[in-house]
Amino acid sequence: MIKTMSLAKFLIKPACFLVVLISLDYLVGTGLRKIYFSQQVGQFSQTTYAVDSARHDIMIYGSSRAVRHYSPSIISKITGLTCYDSGRDGLMIPYSTAMEEISLSRHTPKLIILDISPRELGIDQSKYDKLSILLPYCNKHPELIKYVQEISPFEPYKLLSQTYPFNSSVFILATNVLFAKTVKKDDNGYLPLEGQMTKPEVDDYSLRMNKRYLKIKKRKDIPEEKAIRYFKTFLENSTKRHVKTLVVISPTVLRNPFYLDNQAVEKELLVKLTQQYPNVTFLDYSSDPHFNFRPEKFSDVFHLNKQGAEEFSNSIAHYIKSKLVNKI
Amino acid sequence: MAFVPIYILILGFTIIIDYLAGIYIEKAKDKRRRKLLLAASLVANIGILAFFKYFNFLNLNIDRFMGKFNYHDPIPYLTILLPIGLSFHTFQAMSYTIEVYRGNQKAERHLGIYSLYVMFYPQLVAGPIERPQNILPQMHTEHRFDYELMKSGLKMMLWGFFKKIVVADRLSIFVNSVFNNPELHNGTTIVIASIFFSVQIYCDFSGYTDIAIGCARTMGFDLMKNFERPYFATNIQDFWRRWHISLSTWFRDYLYIPLGGNRVSKQRQYLNLFIVFLISGIWHGANYTYIIWGILHGLYSVVYMIIKPYLRKEQQSKATATAIRIGNMALTCLFVTFAWIFFRANSVSDALTLIYNLRSFGAKPFFGDGISNFAHSILAIFLLFAVEYKMEYYPEKFNFFTSPNIALRWGSVAFTIILILLLGVFNGGQFIYFQF
Repeated sequence: MIKTMSLAKFLIKPACFLVVLISLDYLVGTGLRKIYFSQQVGQFSQTTYAVDSARHDIMIYGSSRAVRHYSPSIISKITGLTCYDSGRDGLMIPYSTAMEEISLSRHTPKLIILDISPRELGIDQSKYDKLSILLPYCNKHPELIKYVQEISPFEPYKLLSQTYPFNSSVFILATNVLFAKTVKKDDNGYLPLEGQMTKPEVDDYSLRMNKRYLKIKKRKDIPEEKAIRYFKTFLENSTKRHVKTLVVISPTVLRNPFYLDNQAVEKELLVKLTQQYPNVTFLDYSSDPHFNFRPEKFSDVFHLNKQGAEEFSNSIAHYIKSKLVNKI
Repeated sequence: MAFVPIYILILGFTIIIDYLAGIYIEKAKDKRRRKLLLAASLVANIGILAFFKYFNFLNLNIDRFMGKFNYHDPIPYLTILLPIGLSFHTFQAMSYTIEVYRGNQKAERHLGIYSLYVMFYPQLVAGPIERPQNILPQMHTEHRFDYELMKSGLKMMLWGFFKKIVVADRLSIFVNSVFNNPELHNGTTIVIASIFFSVQIYCDFSGYTDIAIGCARTMGFDLMKNFERPYFATNIQDFWRRWHISLSTWFRDYLYIPLGGNRVSKQRQYLNLFIVFLISGIWHGANYTYIIWGILHGLYSVVYMIIKPYLRKEQQSKATATAIRIGNMALTCLFVTFAWIFFRANSVSDALTLIYNLRSFGAKPFFGDGISNFAHSILAIFLLFAVEYKMEYYPEKFNFFTSPNIALRWGSVAFTIILILLLGVFNGGQFIYFQF
C-alpha cells in the first residue's frame, strides 16, 4: 500500500527538526566557545593570546619545534627584549604565515624568528588540514578565512555551524578543564618537554632512518609550490615592515638528517630563498655537534627536552645579542 | 581521482554486450550456443577488468623476469587510469548473464532498465554487488515518495557518515603515518596501527555501504546487506558470513559451487576454498599484497575446515561459553588483523618490515602529532563498539533513532549530527574501496 501524507506534515516536520538541530548546534557551540576562550593553560590559551594580544619585541613562529625549543624568558633575559612564542604542535609554514599576518596587522615587532624544517616545503596535505586550528578565530578575524579555505573551499559554509569550529578540540578542552591544576602553564608560549632519550634509542632511530633512506632515495624530491609561496609570503610580510627576521632550523638529534628524509632539495631551497631578502638571516643548527647524538638533550627524535631547549635558547639569544640587537 | 569522460564508453560497452548476451542466451535453445554466449559475455567482462586492472601489473612482472635475461621493456606500459568501481559493476554485470544462463532470471528487454541495473548510482562504485533477482524487479516497480522510507534511509546514511567521518577518517591519520613509514616504528606502534586499520577499513567500507543502502532506500529501493558486525565473528567462516557479504556470496554462487562446492572430496573442497580466496585477493587489486592477503584467508579457512570437526561441542556453563566466545572472537580478530597488514601495506617488503618490527613490542609507542588525535581515535572506537555491541546483542533495545518518543528520536539524530561536526575529520578522505 502506498502511504500518502499531507504536504503540511512533509514540510513542517523537517522544518521543526531543523530548528531543533540549529538550537542544539547553537547551544553546544556557545558552550564550547565559552570553555575554549576561558582556557588559562595549554596550547589553546597560548594560541588565543598569540592571535589576539601578543605585542612583544621578538615574535617566534613555527611548529612544535618552535613551541618546544625556544624559551622566551631566557631570550628576554639575555637580549633585554620581550619575547613570545607562537609556535604550535603539528602546524607548519601556512600556519606560521597566518599567525605572522594576524599579529603584524596589530603590531610591528623588532625581530621575528621563524623555526622551520625543510619538510615543511615538501608535499604534504596534512599541513593544510591542520589549519583547522584557526577555525575558532575566523569569526573575529575574517582575514583567517583564506587560510582555512586551504582545508576545503567549503569551510566558510561549515562555519555556519557554531559547533564545527571546535571540531577535534574536545579532548584537549576536557582535559584542560578537568585537570587544569596539573596542566603546565606556558612561559610566554613556550611549553618545554620533559624526559630524555637514551643512546640505544638514538642509535635505533639512526639505523631505521638509514634503512628507510635506502628505500626512498630514488624518489624524486619535489618541493611543493604552494608551500614555497607561503614561505615567501612570510618573508615578504616581514620585509615590507622592515622587521629583521631569523629563519632557523633548530637542533636535530641526527646530524643534518634531511637528506635521509630525501629533503635535500627543500633544504637548499630554504637557504636560497632566505638569501633573496636582505632583512633575513638563516641559521642552521641541524649539524651542531653540541646537540647531534646527544640523547640527554632530546625528549624524542624530533624535539629537545627542557635542558636542550634552554641550552639552545641561550645560544640563539647570544647570537641575537651579539649580531642583531644593534641593528633592530 | 580524475574524471575521464571517454571512460563512460567502457560501461556502455559492457552494458550492450551483456544486454544482448542476456537476450540471446534466453532465446537460444541449443545448450552449446547458450554456453558460448555466456562465455563471450564473461570473456568481454573479465577482459576489460584484466586490461584496466592487471595489464601493467602483468607487464611489470614479465619485464622483471625478462630483465634477468637482459631484455628490458618487451611490451610497452600503458598510461591508463583504473575506472572507478570497475570490479564492482563488472561483477554485477556478470551475475546477470550467469543468472539468465541458469534460468533464474528473465533477460531484461528494456535497455534503459538494464543500464540502470549496472549503473544504479548509490552502489555503482563500491557495491553492494547486487543480484538481478533482487534489484531488477524493483526497477520495474513504480516508486512513489514514501516519507517513512525517506526517514529510514536518511538515518542509515547518517550512521554511515558517522562511521566514515568520525571513525575511519580519524583512524586513518595514525594508520597512514605508521604504514607509510614502516621502518621508523616499533612493535607497540605497529600493533596499535594494525588494530586501528582493522577498524578503519570496516568503518570506511561499511560506512559507504550504509550510505549506499540508505540512499537507495530514500528512493524506495532495497539493496542487500553487506556487513553484519564482522568483528563479532567467532571463527573465520563466521567472519566471511559477516564481511562484504555481497562479494562472499558472489564467489560462493559463481565460483565455489561451480568448482564443485561441498559435493566433492574433502581435499578438493579445501583446494576450491583456497582458489576462491586467492581470486578474491586478485580481485582486490594488482599488487602482491592483496594476493598474499587472499592466500592468508584461504589458509585460515582451510585450516578451520580441517579442525572444525575436532572442536568441542558439548554443553558448557554460561560463563564458560561466554569466555570461549570472547576468546574465539579475539583469536579471529587477531588472524584477520594480521592479514590486514598485507592488505594495507604499500608493498610486500613494507609488510615484511612491519612484521619484522613487531619483535620490539612493548617499546614506547608513537602517538603521531600529539595525544589529542590518538585520544579522539580511541573515543571514536569506543562509540562504534558501544553501538555495534547493542546491535549485536540487544537489537530490540535502545533504538533511539526509531523510538516512538519524538524527543528521544529527534534528540538522538541531532546529537549524532553534532557528534559528527565535533569529532569528524573533514579532509575529504576517499573511500578505500573506490580504488577497487
